[in-house]
Formats: sequence, C-alpha cells, structure tokens
Amino acid sequence: MMSELVIQTRNLNKRYRGRSAVSNLNLEIAKGEIYGFLGPNGAGKTTTIRMLLGLIRPTEGSVQIFGKDLNKEKLNILRRVGSLVEYPSYYGHLTAVQNLETVRRILDVPRSRIDEVLDIVSLTKESKRAVKGYSLGMKQRLGIASALLGNPELLILDEPTNGLDPAGIQEIRELIREMPQRHGITVLVSSHLLGEIEQMASTVGIIREGEMVFQNTIQNLKDRASEGIRIVVSEPEEAIRVAMDQGFEGTMQQGMLQFPNLNDAQVALLVKRLVDSSHDVYRVEEKKKSLEDIFLQVIGEGGIS
Amino acid sequence: MMWGRVLSTDFIKIRGKGIWFLVFLGPIGLIAMQALNFGLRYDYLMEAYKEDVWGGLIVNIVIFIPMSLIMGITLLCSLMANVEHQTSSWKQLLALPVSRMTVFSAKFGLGVILLLVSCALLVLGTIALGLGLQLGTDIPYQDIVRFCFLPFIGTLPILALQLWLSLTYSNQAISVSMGITIAIASLFAAKYDEWVPMKWPNMALDGPHQIEAIVASLFVGFTVLLLGMAHFSRKDVA
Repeated sequence: MMSELVIQTRNLNKRYRGRSAVSNLNLEIAKGEIYGFLGPNGAGKTTTIRMLLGLIRPTEGSVQIFGKDLNKEKLNILRRVGSLVEYPSYYGHLTAVQNLETVRRILDVPRSRIDEVLDIVSLTKESKRAVKGYSLGMKQRLGIASALLGNPELLILDEPTNGLDPAGIQEIRELIREMPQRHGITVLVSSHLLGEIEQMASTVGIIREGEMVFQNTIQNLKDRASEGIRIVVSEPEEAIRVAMDQGFEGTMQQGMLQFPNLNDAQVALLVKRLVDSSHDVYRVEEKKKSLEDIFLQVIGEGGIS
Repeated sequence: MMWGRVLSTDFIKIRGKGIWFLVFLGPIGLIAMQALNFGLRYDYLMEAYKEDVWGGLIVNIVIFIPMSLIMGITLLCSLMANVEHQTSSWKQLLALPVSRMTVFSAKFGLGVILLLVSCALLVLGTIALGLGLQLGTDIPYQDIVRFCFLPFIGTLPILALQLWLSLTYSNQAISVSMGITIAIASLFAAKYDEWVPMKWPNMALDGPHQIEAIVASLFVGFTVLLLGMAHFSRKDVA
C-alpha cells in the first residue's frame, strides 16, 4: 500500500469553450517522492498544475492536498506549498533580495530565510543586482528560491529546466534531487522530456491530450522496456522444438529464437536444456526498447499495451 | 495584518517605476501652470480678483483638478497593474497564501494613498504659490484643503473602475483609452445631468447637492470596488 498521499485529484476536468484541456485526471502523489509529470507540450501539464495551485478553477472534479480540499482550505494549503509555474515570475527592476522580500512579507517568515534560500540556489553573490540583468538560469533559480522561502512541504515545479543550458539543467536537477532527503519535501516536477524526469523522479505520470495514460514507478516503466530474450544457436529449427517441449513460448525470427520476458532462472534453464541437447549457443541477448521509445509509444497510442 | 503586509510589498514593487514621479508631477504641473498664468498677467489678474485674490488663485487651479485626477488615476492604475502583468507575476503572487480580495484591495489602497499624497502636495503647492505671488498672509487654509481633497472623493468610482480594468486586462490600451475618454468627457461635466458620475468630482466641491454627490461617490466607488474584487477572485489566472 502506498504511503500517505500529498496530492490526490479525483476526476479533474478543465474545459475551455467545449475544448477539453484536462479530462478525468486522477493524480496520486505520495509523501516524500519526486513525481515526474510528463507529457508533450500542450498535453495539459500546466493547466493541471494551475488547478493544483488554485490559479484556475476545475470545470469538474476535486483536488485534495495534504488530505484537505483545495476549494475549502486554499490558503492553509498554499501556506505549505512552494511553486514555480512555467517561465519564472519576477520583478525585473528589483534585486533578488527585494523580489524575495515581496514574497517574504506575505509568507511572514524571518528575514534570515532570504539569505538561506539564496544560498541554496547559489545566488548570494548576485543578490544585490536588478533581476532583469540575470540570465534565464539565474531567474529560474530565483524562482526556485522564492518557492522554497516558506519552508514548503510540497514543491510544485512546472518545467523548471525549460530553456536552460546543460550546466543549468544539471544544477537544477541536483537541487531537486536533494529536496526529499535533505529537506523532506515532496516534489512534483513537470517536463516534456523523459530523460529529464528519468534522472530525478521516482514515480512518473504521463499525460497525453489531457488524459493520464500511465502512472507508476519509473522502475515499472523501465521493466516494460524489455522486449524479451533473443538466442542465437547452431540449429534454430530443432532448438525451437526443444524449447517448446520445455514449455517455453518462443518464435523463430531470421534464424534467431525469440522469447518474451523470461526471468533469470528461466533463461538459465533454457540455455541448460539447449546445451544438454547438444546445441551450440552462440549468443543470449536481451532486446530492449529505449525509455524514449516507450514514452513515444505511450503518448502516441494513449496507453501501454 | 495581511492587508498591511501586502500593501507594504506593493510599495516595494512600485520603486523605480515612475509612479512616484507621476504622483509629484501632477500637482507640480498644476502649480507651474498657474505660476505661469499669474506670472504673465499678474497685474491684470490681481485687479480682476482684488476682492479675494486667494480665491482667484484657487478657482484657477480647481478647474483643472477633476481632469488631472482622472488622468492621474488612469496612469497610476495602469502603471501599478503593469508591474504584475509585465513578467506575469500573477501566477506567483496568487499562488501564495493570500486571498485575492486582499491583493486587489491592497492595490486600491495603494492608489488611494498615492492620490492623497498628490492632493496634499497640491495643498502645499497652492499655499507656496500664493505666498510667492504675495497674495497676503491671510491664507484660506480651509478652502484650499477642501478644494484639493473633495474632488478626489468624487473620482473614487472612476478609480475603482480603472483599477479593475487595468488589473483584469493585461493589454493596458483598454484601460488607458477608457480613462482618457472619461477624462475628456469630464471637461464637459457642467452640461451633464447630476446622476452622471463624471459630474461628481465637480459637484463634490460645492453647490447645492454637494453632500449627495459625496455620498453617491463613496457608495458607487465602494460598490464598483466590490464587484471588481468579486470578479478578480473568481477569474482564471493565465
């Protein structure tokens, strides 16, 4: 059974003039995990996140955060949430410290917290400069700093690495990965890049045209990557008969034996039987789809078969 | 208190945005205009207003106050709103644990405070100009304060409307053209029926229905503010 859920949505729907942006979304995010929210651009990720933050109203369905109804206890919930939605928000004419001060006064946290979060995102040296002169990466880090300002228990980051250079992406990724261990924060991070999520998240939710098409651990997704075992032998026709006799469901393709998902013990047994019946086994290989292939398959077909 | 804290963040946000400049420019402009007027035709005007020279100065300033106020309101609201629209800060601000009512009403409070500062500067400027023009030391303080602040009450409905337009539509052309239209229309206030809000800044000054105009302005201003807040609280944030 899953541990305590931090975010749970039930049949979340958002329609704009008849066009459905998000439909029947059931998001489940457990405490202490990094949840990767994945989907192509325009799939409804940002719309969902805006609903989680109370920025837009769902057409239908409910959002529960920390086990409370967002509609009824919005301010109590938001007090415990830090967020960064799409491209960063900032007041360009103000310095980083002044920007954070405008947020700090509303959150009513001690002033020392500003230095702490600037240190976490390594902006201390630049903190007295007007933000409009910052690089995109620095602005994004400032956004994360203000998300962290109120000591949130839940961090919602929408495309936090969008538009960053590889070094910037690396930095943000490290920052996010630390959150659960070092600060005990649950993180929801969205992206349109699987590679991005794969390196941070423990659980993924894949959304396509507003519908959730996959929601499970990243390991589970990886397990689906295996397409089976391929064995190359000296006499494939006879070998396949031997295998069938042993109860292995195999096929022969281009002179190679193909077996759908076998576990280690089954592979060992099969090879032993083949060798015992005097077959020369040249190669035993696992055929793998890349995660990217699976992702494309999922978002292409709307589900994993 | 949350409202006060939000208001204090608004004061931080308007730094260096030309808003304070505008607050000073309005009254200083009006005073400079009369300095020029009286400077150029000093003897003529002193003769014309010899019964009440201070009153003469006040009358010349007062005729420009309603329009200046409305223009000022238009620009202030637009500049204040732009601080948030420019880098779409709404999504950050409104995802903080603060009610949208508080955010909206704090902006209204900011507008009121800034305009009151302008009015106060106009009082000081008028007195300084009068003394500079040697109108005598028998300064009609009460009249000056009355004439500088009462039209402001008459513009409260316009302030509430302009604030709502500026905060709701990120395209400031909408609110600014509306504001300018109202400002120009207010020039012909004398011709309007008394129920037309654009006449109220003038009516609030004096005249038989002064009290009614003040009460109506407060009431309508407050109502428009509430409607704006209600809409702002429900709307989707892009």
